[in-house]
Amino acid sequence: MPQSGIDPITLEVIQNGLAAIVDEMALTVMRTAYSGVVKDALDYSTALCDRRGEVIAQGLTIVLHLGSFPSAVRHILEAYGPRVRPGDVYILNDPYGSGGIHLPDIYIIKPVFVGGALEAFACALAHHTDVGGLVPGSNSTAATEIFQEGLRIPTLKLFDEGVANEAIFAILEKNVRVPGKVLGDLRAEIAAVRTGEREFMRLAARHTPATLRRYTDHLLDVSERLAREEINAIPDGAYEFETHIDGDSIETGPVNIRVAVHVAGDSLTVDFTGTSPQVKAGINSPLPFSESAVYGGLRLLMDPTIPNCGGYFRPIDVRAPAGSVVHPLFPAACGARGITGFRIMEAVLGALAQAVPERVPADGEGGNTIISFGGYDVQGAPFVYVDLIAGARGGSPRGDGREGVPHPASNIANTPIEIAERELPVRIERYGLIPDSGGPGKYRGALGQIRDVRCLAQEAVLQIRSDKRRFPPYGLWGGRSGSPSWNILNPGTGQHVLPTLTMGKIRQGEVLRHVMAGGGGWGNPLERDPDRVRRDVLDEKITIGHAREAYGVVIDPNTREVDTAATAELRERWRRDGRIA
Amino acid sequence: MTAWTDRRYRVGADIGGTFTDIIAIDRDGICSVRKVPSTVVDYGRGVAEGIQHLLAQFGAGGDAIADVIHGTTVATNAILERTGARTALVTTEGFRDVLELRRLRTPQLYDLFFEPPPPMVDRARRFELRERVGARGEIIIPLDDGDVGKIVARLRNEEIQSVAVSLLHSYANPSHEQRVARIVRDGLEGVHVSLSAEILPEIREYERTSTTVVNAYVAPIIEAYLRTLVARLRAGGIGAPLRVMQSHGGIMSARATLKRAASVVESGPAAGVIAGFELGRQLGLRNLITFDMGGTTAKASLIEEGEISRTTEYEVGSSISLASPLVRGGGYALKLPVIDIAEVGAGGGSVVWVDRGGALKVGPRSAGASPGPACYGMGGPDATVTDANVVLGYCNPGQLAGGAVTLQAPLARAALQERIARPLGMGLLQVAYGAHTIANVNMIRAIKAVSTYRGRDPRDFALLAFGGGGPIHAAEIARALHIRRVIVPPMPGLFSARGLLQAQPEYYFVRTVFEPLASLGAGAINGVYGHLLAEAMETLAAEGGAEEDATFQRFADIRYAGQAYELTIPVGPGRLTGKDVAALAERFGAEHERVYGHRAVNEPVDLVNLRLVARVAGRPAPQLRVARARAAGASAERAAHFGPRFGTVATPVLARGDLGATPRCGPLIVEEYDATVVVPPRCTAWLHDSHSIVIDVDDDRDNGDALSEDGAEPSRA
Repeated sequence: MPQSGIDPITLEVIQNGLAAIVDEMALTVMRTAYSGVVKDALDYSTALCDRRGEVIAQGLTIVLHLGSFPSAVRHILEAYGPRVRPGDVYILNDPYGSGGIHLPDIYIIKPVFVGGALEAFACALAHHTDVGGLVPGSNSTAATEIFQEGLRIPTLKLFDEGVANEAIFAILEKNVRVPGKVLGDLRAEIAAVRTGEREFMRLAARHTPATLRRYTDHLLDVSERLAREEINAIPDGAYEFETHIDGDSIETGPVNIRVAVHVAGDSLTVDFTGTSPQVKAGINSPLPFSESAVYGGLRLLMDPTIPNCGGYFRPIDVRAPAGSVVHPLFPAACGARGITGFRIMEAVLGALAQAVPERVPADGEGGNTIISFGGYDVQGAPFVYVDLIAGARGGSPRGDGREGVPHPASNIANTPIEIAERELPVRIERYGLIPDSGGPGKYRGALGQIRDVRCLAQEAVLQIRSDKRRFPPYGLWGGRSGSPSWNILNPGTGQHVLPTLTMGKIRQGEVLRHVMAGGGGWGNPLERDPDRVRRDVLDEKITIGHAREAYGVVIDPNTREVDTAATAELRERWRRDGRIA
Repeated sequence: MTAWTDRRYRVGADIGGTFTDIIAIDRDGICSVRKVPSTVVDYGRGVAEGIQHLLAQFGAGGDAIADVIHGTTVATNAILERTGARTALVTTEGFRDVLELRRLRTPQLYDLFFEPPPPMVDRARRFELRERVGARGEIIIPLDDGDVGKIVARLRNEEIQSVAVSLLHSYANPSHEQRVARIVRDGLEGVHVSLSAEILPEIREYERTSTTVVNAYVAPIIEAYLRTLVARLRAGGIGAPLRVMQSHGGIMSARATLKRAASVVESGPAAGVIAGFELGRQLGLRNLITFDMGGTTAKASLIEEGEISRTTEYEVGSSISLASPLVRGGGYALKLPVIDIAEVGAGGGSVVWVDRGGALKVGPRSAGASPGPACYGMGGPDATVTDANVVLGYCNPGQLAGGAVTLQAPLARAALQERIARPLGMGLLQVAYGAHTIANVNMIRAIKAVSTYRGRDPRDFALLAFGGGGPIHAAEIARALHIRRVIVPPMPGLFSARGLLQAQPEYYFVRTVFEPLASLGAGAINGVYGHLLAEAMETLAAEGGAEEDATFQRFADIRYAGQAYELTIPVGPGRLTGKDVAALAERFGAEHERVYGHRAVNEPVDLVNLRLVARVAGRPAPQLRVARARAAGASAERAAHFGPRFGTVATPVLARGDLGATPRCGPLIVEEYDATVVVPPRCTAWLHDSHSIVIDVDDDRDNGDALSEDGAEPSRA
């Protein structure tokens, strides 16, 4: 046998068994949750951690959540130690002292005991529709301290040796706007960790707990070894990159995310020195979330067959200065920290594009925009509409950026228009691609999207979390930026342009338009195959004018064929003039 | 031979990637089979020729055939190979990209280069129409017929063959779609028109639009194919009606099939489940897991309380991965009723390999039929599951499938030795048993996907194993899942084709209601069922069926207000009263608890869809009879390996007919024409009157998958 005491067959059997467990957990949440964010947009995650809190398997869910479980489990172990008992179920959401990542993300974690010994933790995390605070949806960009963002839940026993703590349920019920949805989603999370516990115990019984432990330890080691091999293959050096958040809603930006990735042999350090200090608005990213974004970004560059467990975190050292926007200190607000997480991942990828250019695409839409309307419908019942808009990837050495494929950090789904209109006082009047919005390049960025939502309730609180207006998605290697994002109230004459991060009111009959950014281009647009440009014209993804202005490709408006001679001449002239690098 | 011509035959034709199986039964249930190579360019030719061969064998003419039932992969192939019709989509202004944006989500994490499936209709052929229907069916912007006329002109210029029409909220009010259809049909002769409100009158615009587009994309292909096939049959003197297997397991006339062509996309795997359902009925087994293992994939499905499990959550055209309903976005949503089958990329041809982490892996890559496993001797370099089974002594080195393939054990041994055992520093038998076990583990995930993932306990079911490889692996899989009994039907390799002859005409109807159950009176529900019944009657009449032969089943899709997914709950016959409606809510709560482990008290429930299924009882399916296989010969024996616990054992090799009603202890190997049955140690096998082999699995010591180490006995759950 190649490794002492490790049999390749048992290894695969156990790995497969763990993967089946986390998928079954994820499926349990998906099918039993109540809220649109969880049930349709699938903004939740499941994982199994070992007895120390290292991730040993993760569901096919949200990358940005998955790296944060170890910190939540560590806080349980620190706070409760020997008082962690069979039948316990823990709940938490607080980023300060509990390992949470922002208040709407509620963790439900169940220790798993086999034969009296703590062997694992079954973990679920779901983005809840509302946890109280300033605005419906609890992701206010106007909050300036965490107390305004909703109910803070430290690491508590929701079930103590199997007995429910009714006080926690009662307090939750009274502090959220849509208790039916929140408690429904919570039950879904509890069902998932129970599933995880039951199946893990079966696996342990089949293999003996000692064997299972040996193999999960080994899996972590394998994942670490392979990650080190990958890092070793990256040329040593320091790779720097800076990206920006347009601004927070309280002070003008930009907020800078600066990163230096130091690759040395088989390990690397990701250093955020020089990143902006924490800000008043809720875009501060708690450390576990920042770490999760770094791990996720690096994992995107690695061989996807590396075992999906936390061993690959080990050779990665994250240095985030305390008090910065990537490691905020109490009581910084962090409701809309998702934006910062996306930027962290993009900064890491941008830095390593210099080291491994063949593996890194240009920038995408910047993660999902979140629009929420909240208020009371005509019958007086409370409602919260949360809409996630995403999906414009950057061009890459392998081809054009793909439309409708979400940011790699956050594999969300959209909400069906017909369901939203049936359940909530909104009408969606437009949802589609925006021609010419993809960043030009040899391989162009994906087109951005437009979404118009009309408010049918008397009045609602409107909250928008978006970005990439002043700093649209970057291109790489001569590729151009994608087009910027916009938020417009009542488009047309008399329209108001709203900031990227904003909170305000929307009244009956008013329309909010979100224009998503387009993906960045990859490579020199003058090297784009004229036939590809023509196909984009035929598919109405770019206009004939854009074909000429962005790519130097002349297309006859009548025949819609490429004018080869005119194209060659125009491109040659532009090259001579240095108009496009 | 003249007596034979009096007989009326029913003929089934099941097209696979490599072979087309033709099966015929006569009135006495005697069945005959013929395997012919699939004729890829023109599948109908192989079918027609295969039937002619059988007729010649019987010495019968075309008029001896009562009907022909056909399972076809033509629609699936058109989707996978992107050779469907030139299709356009007409949709509501502002929403032409719903089809391309899908539900966004991708089927894998950590992939910077994910390629979504290209839309079946390019952007330029997706036309927007100024009109709008609201969520309650109210007209917000009226449709202008003149606008439709302009689109018709563009459709003509684009030489469109098929048009999908999918307008927002058309499930609530189809009037705009119907007007569009009239104008398009009037304006463009010979063009197919698929309306979303007819194909899938259900809420959720992407799923409805995608289903309608898939239908439009394959409809002209299916039509041309069926026309050609009918013509070929007619030319051969076969005037019998052609019926087509549907994804939901029922059969329909060719004419009815054309109305909803997309409903044949999964017709291939459905037949095996139907055969399982019939066998279960015959044996009095109401709870079965069907397990069909072929060359490339393995499929599992659940029959519970005598009912086949069906679903509408389905995607076509995505690559097969380990079965998980989370894996969405790799294909095209197709929300028509389909038998709920979980599929994994593990079959006899699945390649055995070692990953970078040092774990032994099986599949999903397959050596296919050509070059196939190393032991086929056709130059295939890869070690496969079949090679492992040959090394273990399970498969007979020598002839397979009556001589179609010869298995060469030295080639199997060499491939496993050189590619796997030597690099890992392990023994050949250890590696072969490991590959066999890991194939089992992969296939177990398919079984879990239809059982434990849905709150069902596999121990409550018997495992029905068929397909070329199913009976080799089934007993160990059963042991790992604590399933006590395995059934291996006669002719397991041809079991699916038999299902074609056992399927009944079935028709599915649905309508979205989407109201709180409490606010709906029994009258409203009765009204919708009345509409569905009228629709069903119309279809039955058109199909030439009689009302008195039909049975109806009713269902309701219910969820807690605000949930994303519904559970389908059976609704009893007759007019519903207020009490029945209350009981419906209670049954939903109970089912929710069973599937998900919890229910909400006092939470309002929504009635989302009402469904009606009409089945036409055909004449009772004759009991299939198989001529008794070769009588007990001199008892053969060969060495077979059963893992570290039992080692290599001299194992008796029998024919099915050598087994009797008295159980015999394993290890045993039963060899027959089209399959091999492995009865491992600590299992017993006996022959049921139906000629099925029953394997009773000893669950006493859970050691079925070679997992104990150092000789330690694993503890039990």
